[in-house]
Amino acid sequence: MRGKALLQAEKSFITQTGIIFVVLALIPLISSGEFFVSTLCLSVIWAIMGIGWNIIGGYAGQVSNGHAMYFAVGAYVGALGLEWFGMSPWITMWVGVLLSMLLAFLIGYPLLRLRGHYFAIATMAIVECVRIICTNWNLIGGATGVSFFQRDMNSLYSLQFENRVPFYFICLGFMLVFIIVSRVIQQSKFGYYCRAIKANQDSAESAGVNSTFYKRWAYMISAAVVSIGGALYAQYIQYIDPVSLLPLSNSMLIVLIVVMGGIGTIWGPVLGAFIMTFINQYARALFNQLSGLNLFIYGVLCLFIVLFIPKGIISLFSGEKIKKLFRKTASEKRR
Amino acid sequence: MFWQVLYEGLTMGTIYALLAMGIALVWGVMNILSFSQGEFMMVAMYITFFINVALGWDPLAAMPLVIVIMFVLGLMIYRTIITKALKGPVLGQRLVTFALGMVLCNGMILIAGGQTKSISQKIIHGNIELGSVTISKEKMVLVVTSILVTALLFWFMNRTKMGKAIRATSQDKEAAGLVGINTQTAYMIAFGISAAIAGAGGCAMTYYYYFTPNIGTNFMIFGFIAVCLGGFGSIGGAFVGGMIMGLIDLFTGTYFSVSYKYMAISIIFLLIVTFKPKGLFGR
Repeated sequence: MRGKALLQAEKSFITQTGIIFVVLALIPLISSGEFFVSTLCLSVIWAIMGIGWNIIGGYAGQVSNGHAMYFAVGAYVGALGLEWFGMSPWITMWVGVLLSMLLAFLIGYPLLRLRGHYFAIATMAIVECVRIICTNWNLIGGATGVSFFQRDMNSLYSLQFENRVPFYFICLGFMLVFIIVSRVIQQSKFGYYCRAIKANQDSAESAGVNSTFYKRWAYMISAAVVSIGGALYAQYIQYIDPVSLLPLSNSMLIVLIVVMGGIGTIWGPVLGAFIMTFINQYARALFNQLSGLNLFIYGVLCLFIVLFIPKGIISLFSGEKIKKLFRKTASEKRR
Repeated sequence: MFWQVLYEGLTMGTIYALLAMGIALVWGVMNILSFSQGEFMMVAMYITFFINVALGWDPLAAMPLVIVIMFVLGLMIYRTIITKALKGPVLGQRLVTFALGMVLCNGMILIAGGQTKSISQKIIHGNIELGSVTISKEKMVLVVTSILVTALLFWFMNRTKMGKAIRATSQDKEAAGLVGINTQTAYMIAFGISAAIAGAGGCAMTYYYYFTPNIGTNFMIFGFIAVCLGGFGSIGGAFVGGMIMGLIDLFTGTYFSVSYKYMAISIIFLLIVTFKPKGLFGR
């Protein structure tokens, strides 16, 4: 009986994913303006980072305010690999993932014992250290950063395209993978343990859940996903420096998009990333005369969403509503 | 040289301490990690600047007015935003203050522009030579303000009825409500006072520092670290934590390397937190 229900849930998840990804893949065919497509790319990259943060912040409830570090690790490894050795980002992004996981393992050892605000502040302090190291270490570009525009390579090899549409599809592919990873984690025993730790760490431990072990793995996986997001971002922007990669606001924006989309849900980070990136990019383009207005609007919007829709935008489309919507589309298709 | 650095470190420490006490008050009383505290300080600096430009008042003369304005602003923000956020999850409360900081910072860029500002004419200026130590009178203003604010805050929290009510509320909200304390008012006053501390700090800082709308975010993390060093949102701890940080800042900056001094603060903080997860003075 339970197995049947589970199968039903998997089926509905697969159809849901299928429909959403087909729609996302069809969007550039409708409108392929350069600005529009690059905003789409950026949204997908932020969505990937949101999915990554959601694993530790949403499922395991450890609110890290320092995921900009893994973002930067991914970006730097990808950028320097291409700049120094001409290595394809397809290879170096996995080096970045390994490095991020190693870092997360080492940092998680002392930090994951901290709770609440202390954990948040400690992760912020670590990002601050990394920012200072990156700014002063001239070998990796120092404060001026790395610029690595490669025109003479095959664009599929260097992941840098004249036209952004293929890059968008690659990002979308990665997002699909991580949506599935996120779903698998959510449904697995690992995910249940994480949620138990989130609900109450002490009682989870007394029920025999090895909280240190699960928290550390959640932290490492989340670091790995965010680092892939960083590698894609580096190829997207083709120029990186510590000021744009490692400010406090970057770590906070990852948290914000997840919370605004819907924390602890699979589609929440994606929804939040798309809405917020589009608003931010278009507000910036629209009000480029008035510096500050775009982030002012962004801030006001965040205030309203966090205050009035605490469960995230995704809660507006509650399970019932979505089911209804899907039934409608299904019946329309049959017609 | 050593004494000079010690003096400069203590001056820097008073800035960190002023920032940290405001954060500690909000943290200790309503358990919110307030990301907007640095921005409050920035707003206070700009209010001082505007008063100086419009009326020609010296920052010292404007200070009481700035403190009152910031207190009222704090009350208003509490009434409109924080009361609502307190009903939600902890993470939401933190993000609300972050978004508020973003609004204040970018709103100020809209109003005043992103350029660096400073106040040029001051009543008190010049230096005192004390043997090998040069004491700048402008920095002295900052130190004296900080000590006065701390003393006043301690007097308020320990001697007045309202202060005792705030402390009782921070220890146990339900029990405080049961003995007849209006916990909502206590929260509101606490938030207002934390904004007023930022007001005093920002006003005094215009005496010596240049400022831009982004200055708050730069200070933020060090305010948090100072609170953590002291431990568990206690105000006295925050003051000591801020002082320690000022000393670390100046000593590593002078004797090791200027670019790595903030890293030294972060690393010492991480080491302390690793071995004493409740802070230096936390129980």
